[in-house]
Amino acid sequence: MDVAQALVMGMQTWGIVGALVAAVFLTIGIDRIDEDARGAYAFRPLLIPAVLLIWPIILWRWWQIESERAAWAARYRAVRAPYGLAVCLMSIGIVVIVFTGLSVRQTWPAGIAPVQLTKGASQ
Amino acid sequence: MSVKYTPVQWNRNKWIYDAVMLAGVAAFLWVFLYVTPEVLNHDRAINPQIHNARAFGACAFVMLTVILCIGPAARLDKRFLPLLYNRRHFGVMTAFVAITHAGYILNWYFNFSSSDKYVGLLYANSSFGQIAGFPFEIFGIFALVCLLILAATSHDFWLKFLTPPVWKRLHYLIYAAYFSVAAHVSLGILQDQQNHLFTVVFMLGAAAVIVLHIAAWLSERGEAAAKDGAWAKVAPVGAFRDGYAKIAKLANGDRVAVYLMEGKLSAISNACAHQNGPLGEGKIIDCLVTCPWHGFQYDVRSGRSPAPFTEMVPTYRVRIEGDMVEVHPDANPPGTYVEPVPIPTPPSSEGVTA
Repeated sequence: MDVAQALVMGMQTWGIVGALVAAVFLTIGIDRIDEDARGAYAFRPLLIPAVLLIWPIILWRWWQIESERAAWAARYRAVRAPYGLAVCLMSIGIVVIVFTGLSVRQTWPAGIAPVQLTKGASQ
Repeated sequence: MSVKYTPVQWNRNKWIYDAVMLAGVAAFLWVFLYVTPEVLNHDRAINPQIHNARAFGACAFVMLTVILCIGPAARLDKRFLPLLYNRRHFGVMTAFVAITHAGYILNWYFNFSSSDKYVGLLYANSSFGQIAGFPFEIFGIFALVCLLILAATSHDFWLKFLTPPVWKRLHYLIYAAYFSVAAHVSLGILQDQQNHLFTVVFMLGAAAVIVLHIAAWLSERGEAAAKDGAWAKVAPVGAFRDGYAKIAKLANGDRVAVYLMEGKLSAISNACAHQNGPLGEGKIIDCLVTCPWHGFQYDVRSGRSPAPFTEMVPTYRVRIEGDMVEVHPDANPPGTYVEPVPIPTPPSSEGVTA
């Protein structure tokens, strides 16, 4: 119970920090780092869930953009290398877990006539 | 040049796509709930909450399976590309369906005790040391979190803000999510399944995802291996059509758009500087290629937007070896002018397409 409560509390804390980050990022930060967002407000509420979920990545990217640390070529570098690894791991994992699941499946004793184990108190 | 963000960029095709998708979801739920209870063996006395939870869970699995099939299918056969372009709406809808499934579970199985239902969900089963009876809910929670992250970061803003490499890495979570869903099903509902139809449908879906992805990966690996080296082959000279591009995929996975304009070849990054739209699918008008997504324009010789706009994309060096057009995989800094390479015998305006 303690672990479960701690996990739930951790998630709540994560969400509260995310809400604070969202409040600052979506009112001040976004205008500083993206000219396409200046004067555009209707889409901003749609961004709130992402900030709540991945606010550390948001803060990291915000800092990167403000400090101009990202190399120009980085954003043009396609990410395909992990694709094969991801696909292989997923495929192997699915095959293993499906067969594992099927192997431990228990058979429901259908078709077996019920048996009265004791006579009961009234008899 | 600036295109302000909007909540959703609708167009006629997206309306049709979404309408078909929503109709499909509604049809699936209706069939599952009211037409096939005996076929799927859930006609026993289960209450509406469990019935609905199973319907939405099954629907989320089918939707996720279709989503994961669209990508490799489009890479293997371009006729599937129309399904790919609006896939993010499909993904967001899947997240909503999955969260509805979770809501029914949470508000039925964990809602009637003195303890918090979220604590109850994490605490009710802690048999992590055994396979039979393993707390399969944990796989569902993980998959749901992944789906929520993917759906929440699906807006164009996130692609630009996070940059395509970071965004793409984040979206590799889809594979972990699908495995997790498979584990959630295998150690969950499959353990209680009397009728084998659901088991067969589940295994066929998972097998389709595996086969298509492995096939697409092997196909891409073959192409990349063939193009590995200092210069990458693009296409024969005769395959180019004036005003249009051929898109080359480099060994590192990068995509380069090589254009034929007035008998000369130029190459720029295939990713628009605005929101990474596919520049190679645009047509050259007045020396400028127009991004098909938002209309951003670039001079294909320099990768620069016309003044007063300031957007720039990287350029690439091009050469012709024999009959083959090749591109150097090292990108020039955005906006670098590269002298166009004339082709030996310019094709007619009709051109030839590959």
